[in-house]
Amino acid sequence: MKNTFTQSMAWLHTWGGLIFGWLLFAIFVTGTLAVFDKELNHWMQPEIPASEVSQADAARRAISYLQTHEAQAGNWGVSLPTERSPGLRVSTAERRHGGGVQLDPHSGEAIEVRDSVGGNFFFRFHFTLDLPRNWGIFVVGALALVMLAALVTGIVIHKKIFKEFFTFRPNKGQRSWLDLHNASAVLLLPFHLMITYTGLVIFMLIYIPAGVDALFAGDSRAYFQAQGNARMEQPRGLAKQPGELVDVVPLLAQAEAALGPIAGFNIRNPNTAGARIEIRPVLGNRIALSKGQAMVFDGVSGQLLSDVTEWRAAPLTQRVMVGLHFAQFGGYPMRWLYFVCGVVSCVMIASGLVLFCVKRGRKYATASADASARRWYRLTEVCNIGFVAGLLLACVGLLWASRLLPAELAQREAWEVRAFFGVWLLALLHAGVRPARRAWVEQLGLTALLCIGLGLFGGLSDGLRQGVVACALVLGVLLGVLAWRVQQAVPAPLKGRAARSVEAGA
Amino acid sequence: MLLAGGVLFAYAGMLGLCQGLERHYKHVWNRACPPSWRRVLRGAGWLALALSLLLCAQAWGWAMGPVAWFGVMSLAGLVLVLLLPYWPKVAVGLVLMLPAWGLLQVFA
Repeated sequence: MKNTFTQSMAWLHTWGGLIFGWLLFAIFVTGTLAVFDKELNHWMQPEIPASEVSQADAARRAISYLQTHEAQAGNWGVSLPTERSPGLRVSTAERRHGGGVQLDPHSGEAIEVRDSVGGNFFFRFHFTLDLPRNWGIFVVGALALVMLAALVTGIVIHKKIFKEFFTFRPNKGQRSWLDLHNASAVLLLPFHLMITYTGLVIFMLIYIPAGVDALFAGDSRAYFQAQGNARMEQPRGLAKQPGELVDVVPLLAQAEAALGPIAGFNIRNPNTAGARIEIRPVLGNRIALSKGQAMVFDGVSGQLLSDVTEWRAAPLTQRVMVGLHFAQFGGYPMRWLYFVCGVVSCVMIASGLVLFCVKRGRKYATASADASARRWYRLTEVCNIGFVAGLLLACVGLLWASRLLPAELAQREAWEVRAFFGVWLLALLHAGVRPARRAWVEQLGLTALLCIGLGLFGGLSDGLRQGVVACALVLGVLLGVLAWRVQQAVPAPLKGRAARSVEAGA
Repeated sequence: MLLAGGVLFAYAGMLGLCQGLERHYKHVWNRACPPSWRRVLRGAGWLALALSLLLCAQAWGWAMGPVAWFGVMSLAGLVLVLLLPYWPKVAVGLVLMLPAWGLLQVFA
């Protein structure tokens, strides 16, 4: 620990930022990609047609398919085509976790679609790091706390926030990296603070369960009921008598008028007198995340049984914070705002990691430095390359794997995930055996090429997939320029990362 | 259109605040900034930011608008900061898109 307050804050910022920054970068990158999770899902499953079919027609076709194939099932789930996800998917209770069956919204026939983790992988990785769910949530929560600490200590040690608010001095080595780190952090500080804090709020009951434990004696169901989230009692007797299902289309219209655009519906106990139709809105009709909310109708008479719950002030506050994090509201312009802000967050973290090495390069990477210090420096450098460039390579590698792996491969999703971690591991090894600057150039260059190359897989006739390819193209060009700049950087004293790396590699 | 206006006003606002600072004014124009002019620039900057908030609220409503406003302001500021050292005149000239947008609003 250091003497003054500012010095200890700087120490915490530097070392906390370095050690946890590698994983924080992965969390921020996958979180940024998860903004477009559904679009990526759609791109990674090219068999799903991009058809403009009204939800009413799609719903009728889904129900007639289910009547033919699953008339006896206890639950039908239907995901309707929406703006962001044009597929029509049906499932039954038994297969709720198996993904169900994709239908062609035009014909209502089942279509063969490859299994793919889709953009959902980035979403899941973002809050679990692909660890077992609860472990992951705790690890990511701890990392979010470190992120908050890094933000606050960063504000404390940055003495010229307002004086250097608009300052960026390129081509000046360490100075430029610090300027970039400061500018991306200070200008987007509202975003960084908001996204980190609201991220913690999502799982607040997992992190600090004491309140619910004390008030409800640990009975989380009682807690959810007290919030008005109680599931309606299912009428057990009626569910045994046959009944005729009401037409769902007018109900969809009624729900849409009340809730805004509709994502899909469930029918419990279909074809019985106790049938219930639950209609779910898409998540983005308001800021507060409406996950789990539905309007429930009687499946025979079509009567409205229960409306969506109005949250009380405290749950509403939490829902709004969660909604701010999930970024489902405000349509595509808002989604792009979140995406670009997320990219800047990633740049902020990466520039901080690079800055650590740039600052120490001259001292530790030269032959005169102490051998063990040199080894630690080299380890830091390898981790920087593997966790920054390597992770980006792994992400685009996952997209390639989703298209390249044979469509009928058994356990295809597991292979995709293996491809992701395999590429990441290879990148770390590659960083370990190559001189640092070469490793940066090669990994960034390869990532750029793979991003640009996504267009080769075709499927450009449909807007969503075009968007994915175009966005990857832009990111690929930017990464290409970055790789080229690293390559060109003159290895002169105080000339930035590249110079340090060359010395280290020599 | 409201959206584009919100973005342009946010950029103009950041530009005003930036040019209201001695160092950045000198960097672009190679001469010192008279104190009165500095106050005008800063005032105009804050005003433009307020107008940006108004347009964001028009586009998204008063619940979502402020969220978008923060994002738009931040990103506009970052674009300005990254443009300034490379093409200072372009960074200032971009603000001319604002009157162009205004004309479009009047005639369309």
